This record gives sequence, C-alpha cells and structure tokens, in this order.
Amino acid sequence: MNQKTFGLGLFIFLIIPPVANLMESVMIIHMHMQMPILVITGFLMAPFFQSKFSRFFEKWNHNGIPGILLFIIIVGYWMLPRTMDEALELWMVELFKFISLPFLAGVPLRDSWKKLEQAGKNTVIIIFSIAFIVMGWLYINATMQLCNNYLLIEQITLGWGFLTMGIAFVIFLGYRFFFNPSAYE
Amino acid sequence: METVISQTGNASVFKEKANKILGVNLQDAKISKSYLSVAFIALLIGGTLGLLQGLNRAGLLELPSWLNYYQVLTAHGLLLVVVFSATFTIGYFYAGMSHTLGGLLPKVRTMVWIGFWLKIIGVVLVVIPVLMNKASVMYTFYPPMAADPMFYFGLVFVVLGVWMACFGGFIQVANWRKNHKGQHLPIFSFFATGVFVLLVGATAFVAVEVIFMIIPWSLGWVDTINVMVARTLFWAFGHTAVNIWYLTAVSAWYVIVPKVIGGKRWSDLLTRIVVIALVIMNITGGFHHQIVDPGISESVKYMHVFMSLAIGFPSLMTAYAMFAVFEKTARKQGGKGLIGWYKKMPWSDVRFLAPFIAMLAFIPAGAGGIAQTTNQLDQVVHNSMWIVGHFHLTLGMSVAMTFFGISYWLVPYLSKRVLTKGMNQFGVVTTVIWTIGMITMSGAMHTVGLFGSPRRTSYTTYFDNATALSWDPYLIFLAIGGTLLMIAAIMQVYAVFNLMFFAPKGETEFPIAEVEDGEAKTPYWTERWGVWIILMIIVVAMAYVIPLTDFIVNAPPGSPPFKTW
Ligand code: HEM
Ligand SMILES: [Cu+2]
Repeated sequence: MNQKTFGLGLFIFLIIPPVANLMESVMIIHMHMQMPILVITGFLMAPFFQSKFSRFFEKWNHNGIPGILLFIIIVGYWMLPRTMDEALELWMVELFKFISLPFLAGVPLRDSWKKLEQAGKNTVIIIFSIAFIVMGWLYINATMQLCNNYLLIEQITLGWGFLTMGIAFVIFLGYRFFFNPSAYE
Repeated sequence: METVISQTGNASVFKEKANKILGVNLQDAKISKSYLSVAFIALLIGGTLGLLQGLNRAGLLELPSWLNYYQVLTAHGLLLVVVFSATFTIGYFYAGMSHTLGGLLPKVRTMVWIGFWLKIIGVVLVVIPVLMNKASVMYTFYPPMAADPMFYFGLVFVVLGVWMACFGGFIQVANWRKNHKGQHLPIFSFFATGVFVLLVGATAFVAVEVIFMIIPWSLGWVDTINVMVARTLFWAFGHTAVNIWYLTAVSAWYVIVPKVIGGKRWSDLLTRIVVIALVIMNITGGFHHQIVDPGISESVKYMHVFMSLAIGFPSLMTAYAMFAVFEKTARKQGGKGLIGWYKKMPWSDVRFLAPFIAMLAFIPAGAGGIAQTTNQLDQVVHNSMWIVGHFHLTLGMSVAMTFFGISYWLVPYLSKRVLTKGMNQFGVVTTVIWTIGMITMSGAMHTVGLFGSPRRTSYTTYFDNATALSWDPYLIFLAIGGTLLMIAAIMQVYAVFNLMFFAPKGETEFPIAEVEDGEAKTPYWTERWGVWIILMIIVVAMAYVIPLTDFIVNAPPGSPPFKTW
C-alpha cells in the first residue's frame, strides 16, 4: 500500500458517520484530532494531485507562498468556534470541512512546504505558535460557552490543548534556534 | 555502522581504533562496573525480600513485627523495579557508549559519577524510613497514603541522579555527532539515546508529582492533595519506566544477540523506526494502569486502548525481526527444514540461551498485557495476583533474564577477564533454574489471581473463608517457585562478582552485530532527535490534556495525608 492509497483509506475511514460522530462528540478531539488527521490525509494523497496537475502547481505555487497562505486561511477558518458549531448543525458545512481540510489545506501544505525557504517555514510555525497560544488563552478564560454544542469544561480542555501545542511549537523553534543542524549533519 | 572508521580521517578515528584494539577504557569500565555492582546487590537483597513475601503468602512464614509484609513489599518493589533496572540500564548503556563512541568525555564521566552518588544517597534516604516502618506505601506511593517526607526526598535524589546520567549521555552523543557529521549514530548508542530521552520524559512526571504535590503535602504546607492527578502523573512515569527496561532488553536482542549467534543484524532502518516509535508513543500508555480508576470517562479510556495497543505494534515487529534473524543465521550455518533449523542455534551458550528464553517469555507476557488493557478483562484481574504474575513475566523474565545474559559477556569485557567454559555452564544452569522458578511462581500467581487472590496482601484466610482457603495450594507453588528463584538469584550474583574479580584474565569482545551486506543505506531522517522529541511532547499533550483538565477543573475537595499502617 502506498501513501496515496493509505491517505485515501484513512480519509474514507474518517468520514464514516459513526467514526465522525465519535470524534466530533468531544470538542478537543474534533478540533485537535479529526481536523489534523484530515489535513494529514490530504498531505498523503497530495502526490496524486501533484503528478496529475503538475503544470497547475508549477504555475500557481512555484515558490510555495500561495499554497501556504491557502493552508493558513483554511486552518484558521476551522479554528473558530462558530465554524465547528456549524459543522455539527449544517451538513453543507460538514461537507465543506471534509473537503477543505484535506484538499485545500493538506494538499497545498505538502506542495508548499518543500518549496519554502527556512525563514518561510519558521514564519509559519511562529504564526501558528502565536495563534495557538492566543486561542488557548481565549478558550481557557472565556467564561461563557462559545459553542452551542460543547460544554464549558470541554472548551477549557481545548484551551489547554491549544496551549500545550503552542508550547511544543515554541520548544521546536527554540531547538531550531539553538541547535544548528549543519553542525551535526 | 561499523564502516565509520574507513570513512573519516580525523583524530577521533585514531582514538576509536585504539579503543577497539586495547579493549575497554579503564576509567569508563569503572563507571559501568560500579553501576552493575549496585544492580546485582539490589537483585540479591530484593530477591531475598521476594522470597520472604512468597513464603509468607503461602502461610509458611510469619514476618516479625519489626519487618512486616508491607515494609518488605515496598523495599522489594523499589529495589527491583527502580534500583536494579535503572542501575543496570545505565551501566550497560554507558559501557556501550564508551565502546561505540570512542570513550567517554571527561566531563561526561564526572556527570555520571555525580549521578551515581546522588542515586546512592537517594536510595539510602528511601530505605531508612522504610526500615523504620514510616513509609510502607509500596513503590507506587499513591496518595492519600503518606510516607515520611524523607522517603520522598530520597526519590528526588534518585531522579536527579538519573538525570545526570541521561544528560551526560546527550552530551556524549552530541559531541560524537559534531565530530562525525552526516553519519548515523552507531545503533547501540541510538538505543541509548532513545532510552535516555524516555527516562528524562518519564521522570519529569514523577518529579512534578513528588516536588510540587506530595512533598508540600507531606510536610503539612498544604492540607490536601488531588489524588487523581497524582496517580496519573505517577503512571506516566511508572509505565514508561518499565517500558524503558524492556527497551533496554530489546536493544540487546537487536544488536547483541545476532552477533552472539554469528549472524547479522535485522534491517537497520526498521530497527531505528522501532526505537523512534517506542519513544514517541510510550508515555501515554500510562493510562492502561488506570482502567479501573474513577474520574476518567469511558470514552477517554476507550481511546487509550488504542494508545496501548499502538505500543504493541513495535513489540510485534520485534518478535518478527528476532525470529527472522535466527532463521536466517541458522540456515546459513546449514540448518534445514521448516523448523529443523533451530537445532543450529547455540543452545549451550548462556549469552544466547538467557535472552532467548527471555524473548519466549515475552509471548505470554505480551498476550497477558493485551488482555489487561481491555476494559472488561481487566475488571477480572485488576489488583489480583494475576497482575503480579504478569509483571514477573515481563520484568522478572523478559527483562531480568536478558540482563543476566548480558552480564556474562559485559562483566568480563569490563574487567578484562574471560567467560570460562565452566562459568558458561554455571550460567546455563542458573538460567534453567530461574526459568523453572519463574514459570512456577508466575503460573501460580496468574492462576490464583483468577480465583480472586488479591495482590499486596499478607497471608490471611479471612476467618477461614472457603474461597480464601482454596487459594492455598497455588500459593504453595508460589513459594516453591520463589525458592528456586532465590537459588538462581544467588547463583547469578555469584557469577557476576566472580566474573568481575576472579575469572581468568583475558580480552572479551563487546559483541555488536553488523548490518547485512548490501543493505540499503538508512535515510538520514532517522537521526532527527529534535523532531522525535517534539512529536513525543505533542502525543503526550494530546493524551493528557483531556483527563488532567477534568481532574483539576472538576476536582473533589482533595485528601489529607493518611498513615494506613
Ligand atoms: C527472587 C525472585 C523474586 C521473588 C521470589 C518475587 C516475589 C514477589 C512476591 C511474592 C510479590 C508480592 C505479591 C503481592 O503481595 O502483591 C512480589 C511483588 C513485586 N515484585 Fe517480585 N519477586 C522476585 C523477583 C522480582 C524481580 C526480578 C522483579 C523486577 C525486576 C520484581 C518486581 C516486583 C514488583 C514491582 C512487585 C510489586 C510490588 C508492589 O505490589 O508494590 N520481583 N514479588
Ligand atoms: Cu504499562
């Protein structure tokens, strides 16, 4: 089994209603497990599109920046409490989630990441570190329910999830900053 | 990655070469010998205490009031699952790092010596309150049971000592990599790195538990403690610790055993992937020790079944790899037939026999583990003697016996002596006795556990209750097995010190197997430890945020300390 089929299989597994329902029943798993795995499935399936539409990617994403911007926009959109709520309420939005995260975030991420310069990669990680820490702070301290579908405790949990991920990113940046790989490789 | 020498041309190459010719560096050998001595003294004392427990459980021995069952049990658990395993692991990996990385740096040597003494101080501080019956809290020291604060300070010293050894290892590895740009870390040191990363990760949890929660509470600075948070932090450590000991044994299976049988290593890339996978996924397995705990929702427990089984995957890969190596080697040496090749294995060589039986033991041990991680099955065996049977198979067989097998070449290598034919024979006998003893004891424990006999309970008939009386025949077997084990433990410790001080002088090889000829070059990404550590942190965060937030935000009032004994 190659990456592409594995990605497709995983994608199909995730959209099976019982699996989707189970993952969406817990707020943090909805946002921090289902959504990232959807992105990963797109990431794995990307070579299929890259070879099919190589001209398109070459023309529109030759330096990786348009792709990474699309990735940031899509992922940023799905970090809003309201969009998660809507995904649970409106099937159109749910459908959009299942399409946008793999194909408009995962695929461009793979196409762009290799093309980005080191500074570009660091910028992306910095943007997400800040976003995660801010979102974490927001979710932990919001005193009212931000989603109709999830309780306050779940929101606080998600906040801590954001914060810990943000910290992990910061550690990674620190590691990049203090350890020069060219001294070892 | 033994081709290292021919590829580079700088000064450290000379040192490495010299190292290979002259054998072990004496200063480094002293470090490993000290650690191994402590390990085997701990085995002797811990084993003796185990025997006392076994005899007591069978109703054959009443322990005196000044050394009661729970003191003995606390010491047995700590001496074996912490002291024996940790000191052996560090001694073994330091010997191998010195060997494969061209001798330890002076700075690293100092660090690991400081670590050694910190650990000794720590163990003494732990043992004193246990002997005074002020710390009968078992090796898990679950709050709200509270021991004398000295016990916890001792634990802090032990952790600091472990950290010294780990960071010494990191410095050593980083230095080697600086001098060997673009090369793969030798496989033995790759295992060492994985083990030290996990050790730091695991002990960080218990350090938080002890320093920020238990010590202030046992000193009376705060009134109450959050029991669920403490237990969760403990198991993030406790589970990972035993998996580290297992990974240590696995390193010998992958790297050493193939050489002992005259074969080649299994795929270098897949070996490294097993290490990386175990490092990333291990810590979160801690939850399978809390399947019966209150306060964790069913769905979270359900998801953790996946995390536990995920660790099973690299273990299965290991089993496959080992048998592939055995068969390949045996067939090369003329073994024939579907299973006939097994006759070609060096059965009378203790350096092979002991780890081989250890691997076999992991089959039932792993199966038992998978059963226990299943909610409904665990309901039956939780806190029963079954569990004790389980970890005597995993630790007492798979891990301990691999360590024993290692000692028959590592100790002579370190002390510039040789393993004589007679000593090898002695080792084979020891291995057989230990095996019979452990099968008997652990079999009895598993069975009597299914009939409801509880763990951690000194002998009682519950006022001659019929069920409790029906356990007695099995418990006699437990005592018989324990006695055999004690005999084997004494023999093993004798062998170690004989090999260290009295065996004939000579050179012993540090057996590290080479990769198969013509194997594809391992990709460089396996060396990106920074990335593996970040992934480990992310996986840990994903697993722990949900339950910990719940425990803290919805916390019950908390518990004052109790002395229940
Ligand atoms: C001479 C060999 C040994 C004998 C006779 C022995 C016997 C026992 C017995 C009877 C128990 C207590 C059961 C209970 O009441 O719950 C026990 C507990 C335990 N043993 Fe052993 N054992 C031996 C070797 C080992 C080894 C080699 C290890 C690990 C490397 C080990 C680790 C443990 C641990 C962690 C406990 C649990 C302590 C607790 O529940 O707090 N034992 N052992
Ligand atoms: Cu475990």
